[in-house]
Amino acid sequence: MKTSLFLSAGTAAAVLVSSLAFAQTKLSRDDIITSLQGAQTKVEISASELRQQALENIKKYPGDNATQPLPLAGKLATLRQFNVEITFDFDSARIRPASYETVGVIADALHTPYLMGQKFFVVGHTDAKGKREYNLDLSQRRADAIRDALITTFRVPAEQLEAVGLGEEQLRDPKNPNSEVNRRVQLINVGFDQ
Amino acid sequence: MALLPTGSAMAQTVGFADAIRILSSSCGNDIGKYCKKENLGNNEITQCLQANESKLSQQCRADKDRVGVLLQERFAAQAAVGKTCDRDIQQFCKLVKPGNGYVLRCILKAKPSVSNACNQAIDLAGYR
Repeated sequence: MKTSLFLSAGTAAAVLVSSLAFAQTKLSRDDIITSLQGAQTKVEISASELRQQALENIKKYPGDNATQPLPLAGKLATLRQFNVEITFDFDSARIRPASYETVGVIADALHTPYLMGQKFFVVGHTDAKGKREYNLDLSQRRADAIRDALITTFRVPAEQLEAVGLGEEQLRDPKNPNSEVNRRVQLINVGFDQ
Repeated sequence: MALLPTGSAMAQTVGFADAIRILSSSCGNDIGKYCKKENLGNNEITQCLQANESKLSQQCRADKDRVGVLLQERFAAQAAVGKTCDRDIQQFCKLVKPGNGYVLRCILKAKPSVSNACNQAIDLAGYR
């Protein structure tokens, strides 16, 4: 069965959540701040270039799963970042109510003076189940949905956020391409705008 | 100056996460029933709940408007900081380059010297 991307609801997610319950404490605003703050200058990296690289990766290296990291992967890895889990409906960009709080915690962090004025990529990733093109599109729509919620419901300034879907092109655990750990939303600090 | 408890004890606003959690806990079931296509952003859920008002659970009906009020209170508190802290900013952070939260971070650091009103505004805004 092709389960949903990022964390799905249902049994797989339930198992994952219970097994992590002790290792992982509640998502805190200050953890996000600590992980994201400290960018000094603007990073020369564009969201559209990143999207383009993911698309080209599928064309250039076709097949069931990605075999090559994106050219920008190394640069992205050096930036201040934080992973969150947000659950969506199956095959949909609709954020489940259970994850509203998580989006709210991100908003709380982004509104503080510690992260104010900096630019962030909201990057959606899937696991490797299903077609790569499909996953790429779904992850983009899901990243867009998170950005939309942050800039409308929680009024984070729109110019601070860019949504990027990378599908299954940048797996967190390439040795276990179908693992849940690959489904995630990355917040990446790409520095100050001015 | 009257004796006050520590600044944060006076805070009367709640953070965005705490506010929106009320929506999922009080209205989660109703959202699942009546707002299957609606997303959190762009006011979709709020409008959907409004449109289905008569069918909502008592809990959801009682709490959904409160969520909006809590979010508004936090936005208003954030918007008020500049004015409330204006004098303190002039006094303690005059040389700080404006933008990117630099001035507010200076005000946060200057807490012991900053006026009670400004410290309270900072707390209400969730900036600390």
